[in-house]
Amino acid sequence: MHRVDAPIPARAGIGLRTPHYREMLENRPATAGWLEVHSENYFGAGGQPHTFLEQLRAHYPLSLHGVGLGLGSVDALDQAHLRRLECLIARYEPDLVSEHLCWSAAGGRHLNDLLPLPYTEEALDHVAERVLQTQDFLKRQILVENISTYLRFRHATLPEWDFVAELARRTGCGILLDVNNIYVNAINHGFDARTYLDAMPSAAVQEIHLAGHDDTGGCLIDTHGTAVCEPVWALYREAVERIGARPTLIEWDTDIPALDVLLTEARKADAILESEHAVAA
Amino acid sequence: MPSLRDLQRSLAAALISGERGPMQVHLIGARELDAAASLAVYRSNVFSNYRKALRDDYPAILALVGETFFDGAADAYTRAHPSRSGDLNDFGAHFALFLEQWKPAQQLPYLPDVARLEWAIHLAFNAEDVPALDLAGLARVPAEMVPRLRFDLHPSAALVWSTYPVFKIWQVSTTGRDERIDLSCGTDRLLVIRRAGTVEIEPLAPGEWAALEALARGCDLSDAHTHALEVQSTFDLGGFLQRHALAQTIVIFHQPQTLQEGQA
Repeated sequence: MHRVDAPIPARAGIGLRTPHYREMLENRPATAGWLEVHSENYFGAGGQPHTFLEQLRAHYPLSLHGVGLGLGSVDALDQAHLRRLECLIARYEPDLVSEHLCWSAAGGRHLNDLLPLPYTEEALDHVAERVLQTQDFLKRQILVENISTYLRFRHATLPEWDFVAELARRTGCGILLDVNNIYVNAINHGFDARTYLDAMPSAAVQEIHLAGHDDTGGCLIDTHGTAVCEPVWALYREAVERIGARPTLIEWDTDIPALDVLLTEARKADAILESEHAVAA
Repeated sequence: MPSLRDLQRSLAAALISGERGPMQVHLIGARELDAAASLAVYRSNVFSNYRKALRDDYPAILALVGETFFDGAADAYTRAHPSRSGDLNDFGAHFALFLEQWKPAQQLPYLPDVARLEWAIHLAFNAEDVPALDLAGLARVPAEMVPRLRFDLHPSAALVWSTYPVFKIWQVSTTGRDERIDLSCGTDRLLVIRRAGTVEIEPLAPGEWAALEALARGCDLSDAHTHALEVQSTFDLGGFLQRHALAQTIVIFHQPQTLQEGQA
């Protein structure tokens, strides 16, 4: 298989979704500096998903983003899931591999959702152990992404930002900083998003996610089904100023729009990244 | 303060059952929502993820029964068959079995077989890509050895059998046609297979179906021939082998004495 060997640049990338396969392959837009896919969508052995991804991998750096491992679940790490991920990594040699800071199964039942952890020392010890196990198994660093949450726990003892920073310090994992999720949680749980950004160890942050959310009135919900909103762009500008330019993904997973809409969002992210590059130069 | 283990087990149970559960006192809701309302946000996400996964896998069932009935079936399936995989693509594996037993579906006895056909299509879509059959190697096999050959079917191939006209039901429901189907119009014997990237459904003659089914079980060509003749006296073995070799229904042949593989 041919693949571009360049690392993922500090530019905008887009989440590759099935409806855009053909157009991506025919036009190979340079606006997308790199691609990210959900690992589990390529857990099948063959067929059309791999046919397209293999062709696109020849032209774009790739990031594999998992949604189903459940780094924070107390159930034993799913060895079959890890093996499938290992095969996928061997097949595509992605530059980045990431998962979420969440739990997703208990007592053998998977919930197939990103469920919130209580930010306690017990949970930190547990997730750190699991991140280390995963990195040992895959023989590489992974990035861990902060999630949107709609619940907190009364017995939490750590702010989320300290939990994330300490996890990276203890395990050597990278941080996939989802700026939309910080914004959603800041509104949902009433904290200052800048406090979160200030607590992030810049060197550990290797990727940024941007996405849209929905306001249900009751709380903000991370739907990945709309454009990035203006307050999240503003927070992203601040994140880039504080942390530096990082590969930035435009995520859009539901009500997937025309490819051009994604590329327009990518251009907006690139403009912010370029102004930071100019300052840094 | 609950342990992480107790917290996760209890929340998982509360999310699926819809009951409050003992963990509620430990929860703080988001913005305007109290703990129960926040838990309901997660519950709604979990069930809608599963509904969507099943809708993607079973479009014909959805078209046949409509959204309300389908979502009811999806929710009941979610409670009855816990997901055992972090890959949502695995979730729908037991939907046909569930529909066989689920009371509201009893008046539609063909639904489980339609579901079996759709799951075969789902699996075929993601099955492994393999090199083509070595036709030249097969042609070199001495004639007297041919009856003893065993064959591997393409990894995407599945044989579906039903006493209902499930192919017609699937065609009509997935194309949105309005057509009456006579449920007693015959037995369906189908091959589901991915050819050149596209999943196809091929109706087979009884002998052809029996021969492929025998080969899939590991029978040699001679035994497969016998099975085919039992259900169809006019079965033509030469034509069968040529057709399925050229169409890549069979992808590997194994010779008995030498255990040489056609791929080698």
